Amino acid sequence: MQNDNIWQAVLGEIELSISHGNFITWFKNTCLLSNNSGVITIGVTNVFIKQQLENKFCDLIIKLLTKNGLKVKSVEFKIYNFVGNKNTDDEPIKSNQSSLKTISKQTNSNSLSHSYRQGLNEKYTFDNFIVGDGNELAFAACQAIASQPGTRYNPLFIYGGVGIGKTHLIQAVGNALVKDKNFSKVLYISTEQFVQEFVDALRFRKTADFASYYRTADVLIVDDVQFIAGKEKMQEEFFHTFNALHQANKQIIISSDKPPKDIPTLEERLRSRFAWGMSIDMQNPDFETRCAIIQTKAAEQNIELPADVVDYLSTNIQTNIRELEGALNQLLAFCEMRALDPTLSIVSSLFSSIKNRPKHLSAKQIVEKTARYFQIQLEEILGSKRDKDIVMPRQVAMYILRNELHLSFPKIAKELGRKDHTTAIHSVEKIEKEAKINMDLKKAINDITDKLYV
Amino acid sequence: MKLQVTQENLNKALNSVARVASSRSTLPILANVLIKTDNNLLTVSATNLNIAITHSIGAKVTTKGSITVPAKLMQEFISSLPNGIINLELNGTKLKLETDKYNSIINGIISEDYPVMPSINNKNNWKISSLTLKEALSQVIFTASSDETRPILTGILFSVINNNLYLVATDSYRLAEKKVIKLDHEMNILIPASSTHDLLRILPDNDTEVLITYDENQIKFKINEIELLTRLLNGTYPDYKQLIPKQFSTSAVLKKTDLLNVVKVSSLFARENAGSIKIEVNKEDSTLSVKSIASQIGENTASAEAKINNSGEITINARYLLEALNAIPGEIVEFSFNGKLEPTIIKDPKKTDYNHIIMPLKS
Repeated sequence: MQNDNIWQAVLGEIELSISHGNFITWFKNTCLLSNNSGVITIGVTNVFIKQQLENKFCDLIIKLLTKNGLKVKSVEFKIYNFVGNKNTDDEPIKSNQSSLKTISKQTNSNSLSHSYRQGLNEKYTFDNFIVGDGNELAFAACQAIASQPGTRYNPLFIYGGVGIGKTHLIQAVGNALVKDKNFSKVLYISTEQFVQEFVDALRFRKTADFASYYRTADVLIVDDVQFIAGKEKMQEEFFHTFNALHQANKQIIISSDKPPKDIPTLEERLRSRFAWGMSIDMQNPDFETRCAIIQTKAAEQNIELPADVVDYLSTNIQTNIRELEGALNQLLAFCEMRALDPTLSIVSSLFSSIKNRPKHLSAKQIVEKTARYFQIQLEEILGSKRDKDIVMPRQVAMYILRNELHLSFPKIAKELGRKDHTTAIHSVEKIEKEAKINMDLKKAINDITDKLYV
Repeated sequence: MKLQVTQENLNKALNSVARVASSRSTLPILANVLIKTDNNLLTVSATNLNIAITHSIGAKVTTKGSITVPAKLMQEFISSLPNGIINLELNGTKLKLETDKYNSIINGIISEDYPVMPSINNKNNWKISSLTLKEALSQVIFTASSDETRPILTGILFSVINNNLYLVATDSYRLAEKKVIKLDHEMNILIPASSTHDLLRILPDNDTEVLITYDENQIKFKINEIELLTRLLNGTYPDYKQLIPKQFSTSAVLKKTDLLNVVKVSSLFARENAGSIKIEVNKEDSTLSVKSIASQIGENTASAEAKINNSGEITINARYLLEALNAIPGEIVEFSFNGKLEPTIIKDPKKTDYNHIIMPLKS
């Protein structure tokens, strides 16, 4: 653990002293494997990287390791397998049938109910939830539920973007109920897990167990319900669970990233039920809330941050709280390693990359770089040809424009010389879908995005 | 740096290395080729950090030096020049190229920024004829997996068992094993299949000797003036030997072209079912018949004469079977299987050096 921290600090400094391209190419996926009284072993993924670090960066690494308080006699590099050997099972060839057989043999004896979990994390409470303009209403509703479960706002449906505290809030309700009301069966489950358990139940013919388990809950909390979209059988099962609980006046809390009406392929009867009780939109935190969050998080670690540092962080990281916490942790680790006090100059040097990001990028640059990456001409990508190897880069360009610059669809269409904004909508959706299953495409997108900021 | 080379030589060198240079890397210099004088030779190299190729050509070197220039531009430019002498002269980072009629300057990046080529310390080496290696590789390479989530299976295993070199590749649905040559030292290494594609491209179709050197992290193939170095994959390859069945309940021996034809025809009707075709062998009639049904299009049954020891049926992916048949050199093939879910094997009944195994589909 100690080694990891030191290496993170070293990487942090290396990143500032060499170009981004160099850093990504040579230092991504490196780690400090061991420190044997001054003989330091660094793990790298590939013999080419090993050679490069040995020849070109060895002095720099030794210097920085020493600076971070290690006595360095020598540095060695070792090829290290990051993916690990977890995938090298002894059975390389398998038909679906036979692998299924082996799995069921192993798990059949265990009762399925073993895998059911309460799933609440005690660190999420109302006390450490910071209330601001964007989440006031949701917070009030949750508190009301915690005092009178099942009677008011049932079901409660909370929606909003990533990392703004949905999970925190609904878990806090669960925790409060367990603590104050001595509820024994507060079930918190992510939709993904719910689906998985349902599939297992189907496979081992234990659907009755599954149904009775959920239908006897005191409170059911379901996180990220949007993932239920498109799974019809699952929706039916959920519908019955929902009805059974609602009939018995048991509290149901649901979170999602979109309102019920925007979840695609959600069955009408579920849609109407989700909207039955109360739907609340949670918004991104405003500036003051962000400041308060940073101060609270720092105080949890007994650190007082100067006002200008807090100001800097909350001005520059606006998107979500998860990112904000990440940045704060990075800063605190950095200062702890060096025994420094966090000051504005340290923060701004650490996070200058974040700040600069969107500023010196234009839509034109993105289109150009995408075209260059795929080795086609700018005229081609902007032109009217619909050959496969031009269409794909064009769609990728639209996707990146949408994701990096958050341009509107009509604007994106215009940047690529299209008349109709629906083309852009289609393209962005298509790439989004495709990138989830096509690793090459995903890598291409990441590479291009990396290159944008070189 | 100042030197003279012939267009033919430089073009040949660029053709072997330039493909490796990739403009898709995050490090811009990797889109370049490194051009460097070495006594009276000019070495041209490129790397993408998985593989590095160096091609040395004869040159008249006046002053030594080195530079990197964009690979694609350089290759396209040199290949469009007429045959004859080219003068190269380096001025700062500008490379001047001169022939009778063409004069051009290409902006380069200093060679100090170019990655260092790895060197091999531990000298294990062996030799093989280029043609033998090429044939063996092309018989197994297509069965390697391209799924990066199981990196081990994206490699080709070079393993010596009982003094025989075996090449093995599998994507977990099919497996190809080729016995290549006698080799009397131990070896068990895993070469990325992507690197062997590049290797296949530069191996000549004749008996040129390929000198192979390797240690635990890398392997180098030296073919005359070309050197190809690639990283090896780390990890343990699954124990594949246990998967090759020793005995079969059913086997059919028939002409390869016959089987190819019936499978090809049936595969047209199998597109809807992800290429699934049903093979029935009948001992009484001595026929092997292939059936495929596409509910939308229609259906097809095709049969061929075969020597059969036992009746049986199995469902299999048509594309896998076609690719396997194309990799078998002889004219007669033996197609054997056990139960409906056990591995099937396809091979030349007279030769034991190449085994191709395909897992059947659930029917």
